[in-house]
Amino acid sequence: MMRTAHDEARELFALAGAEDLSRGQEAWLRAHLQECAACRDYADAAGRVVRALRSLPLAADSALVRATQMRVRSRALELRQQQERIWLVCVSCLFVGLSAAITTPLLWRAFEWMGVWAGVSSWVWQAGFAFFWIAPTLFVSPLLLARGTHLASHGEGQWR
Amino acid sequence: MESEVSAIARGLRRRDPDLLDRLIEQYQHRLLRYLVYLSGNRELAEDLFQETWIRVLERGHQYDGRHEFSTWLYAIARNLTIDYLRRKSPVSLDGLVDDEPHAPLELADTRPMAWEVVQQHEQAERISAALAAIPAEYREAIVLRFQDGLALEEIAAVTGAPLGTVKSRLYRGLNLLMGQLEGAQA
Repeated sequence: MMRTAHDEARELFALAGAEDLSRGQEAWLRAHLQECAACRDYADAAGRVVRALRSLPLAADSALVRATQMRVRSRALELRQQQERIWLVCVSCLFVGLSAAITTPLLWRAFEWMGVWAGVSSWVWQAGFAFFWIAPTLFVSPLLLARGTHLASHGEGQWR
Repeated sequence: MESEVSAIARGLRRRDPDLLDRLIEQYQHRLLRYLVYLSGNRELAEDLFQETWIRVLERGHQYDGRHEFSTWLYAIARNLTIDYLRRKSPVSLDGLVDDEPHAPLELADTRPMAWEVVQQHEQAERISAALAAIPAEYREAIVLRFQDGLALEEIAAVTGAPLGTVKSRLYRGLNLLMGQLEGAQA
């Protein structure tokens, strides 16, 4: 379909704020509006609609703003606490890892010494060592699984 | 001196509640107006208004401060609205918005004087009804351009549509709106 000068003028008028038109476009549009009564009517009608749109009163009430601010503050606090818990868990993991790295060889030697002292075969004291090593995990994991983890129980259910 | 957008970006990374309070107050009317016209429902718009600010808090670190904050804010509000409307019923945004009755959108009462109030309110209701009757994508472009004063490029960034599409939506939307208003007056 052929675009006429009228289409172009109306589109320019509809789309452009004063800052969007080049000097050439502005001069052309002004000249066209002087010549063309139909486009002038269109420009008047469009101008009225745009002015009416800008004057539409639609405001947020203060209760909504206050409620939003309180919700945002409360969520910010939750996120901060969650971040602190994650930090605590990371530090604990690091501490446990370091402690395990240091104590495992010592504990191994202690079990070996006790095995020799008690006169049991090596697989017996090694099995004892393995049980001693994983016993806390075996005991704590089912408990945590049964009641949900600390992070999950505090992190969920707070998002509306 | 630090520019405003980089100060906002820095504050959002720190999840500064005072900054968020200030931003909520600064953008309250513009954001709510956009959401009301996008969703076609004041109550839903108020819920989305709150969710938008919660999302701003949670995703604040993603705002890089290279674009206007309002563009990023509108994009978040838009995505939340579309997500909500898609969850409600998986058809087009336009169809969903049109699910709502075409009652004029509820307007704030500004209370000036006597007959002027009536006249202004009638005109506002007429325009709101006309806006509600045009397709959502046109309505969105018109609200962003003529009410919130965004540049064409900013509208393209908010909506994720090419500049040419934004121009065409504005032009067609304005024509449809004028047609609706003429029809209502006839």
